[in-house]
Amino acid sequence: MKKLIVTFLIIFLSNFNVIASDLPSVKVGEVDPNGEVVTVKAFGLVCDFCANAIEKVFMRKDEVSGIDVSLDKHHILIALKEGKQLADEEITKLVTDSGYDIKEINRSRSVAEQ
Amino acid sequence: MLFRIILLLIISATIQAHARPVSYPGGWTVSTFNDADRYSGFIHYSPTAFYSIGYHVEYWRDRDYQIHALHINNLIKRWNAEASQGNFYLMSGIGFAHSDEGDFDNRAELAAYGGIAADWETRKVFFSYANRYTDAGNIADSFRQKARFGFAPYVTEYGNWHTWLMMEVRHAPESKDQFVATPLVRLFKGADLFEAGVSDQGDVLFNFVHRF
Repeated sequence: MKKLIVTFLIIFLSNFNVIASDLPSVKVGEVDPNGEVVTVKAFGLVCDFCANAIEKVFMRKDEVSGIDVSLDKHHILIALKEGKQLADEEITKLVTDSGYDIKEINRSRSVAEQ
Repeated sequence: MLFRIILLLIISATIQAHARPVSYPGGWTVSTFNDADRYSGFIHYSPTAFYSIGYHVEYWRDRDYQIHALHINNLIKRWNAEASQGNFYLMSGIGFAHSDEGDFDNRAELAAYGGIAADWETRKVFFSYANRYTDAGNIADSFRQKARFGFAPYVTEYGNWHTWLMMEVRHAPESKDQFVATPLVRLFKGADLFEAGVSDQGDVLFNFVHRF
């Protein structure tokens, strides 16, 4: 029985670590483990004002739980709340209206579903 | 004078229709600029992604006059690439000038100004050019242009302190010192930007911009 509990704990903790390490980090807000994560490759992000503008615009949206803008990677990571969606067209409009161009949009399932 | 003001407004209105965003919609910017010629302060709001509008005040030291103006920034064109950004702006304002100097005892006159600005930057290099013609009636009439080159000694991620070393050259044809060169340091983090330098004439440059 003792062996069984220890084995269960090892399996449980190792799974927990995998989930925790798979969670992307965001500078603003948080990542909902049950929400979708959208990664946008954008052109024109060269300074902190650019990144700050993108953060402000996306964090106004009710669907967004967190955001991370990387000048090094030229990408915007948008974490959505559980059950919420943000269509590609809307993401494109938010980014272009902020003065930047979209190169590509990639979506991943929620961390909990992976 | 009236013709010039109308012309500036027409140019401004025409270009707004074709403009690209200046800042993100709903964003405010406050800034102060202090250089060899003047002190100035702005507060402006971007109602859409195409332009910003606000209040601009400036004090010209040599002629001892102030301008208070409704100021409009138009982003006419932006060029975005993976690692660079270029912009072309129109900047204009209309208001009044006030002076206490000499014969201009507490005198106010209609004033207007207009100019263009362009910049191109990567995360390592920066170039910019700006000019402005100011018509303050009988109080003053001036043309200024500035060019800048800068480089970043290191590149770091968003949210860290960014440092730029820059050289600004100002040309004012009617001024006693037609050319003034100012080496300066720019510090930039998040929504705040600071610049400080001293010109070859000993004038202090200090600029501050905050977005919210």
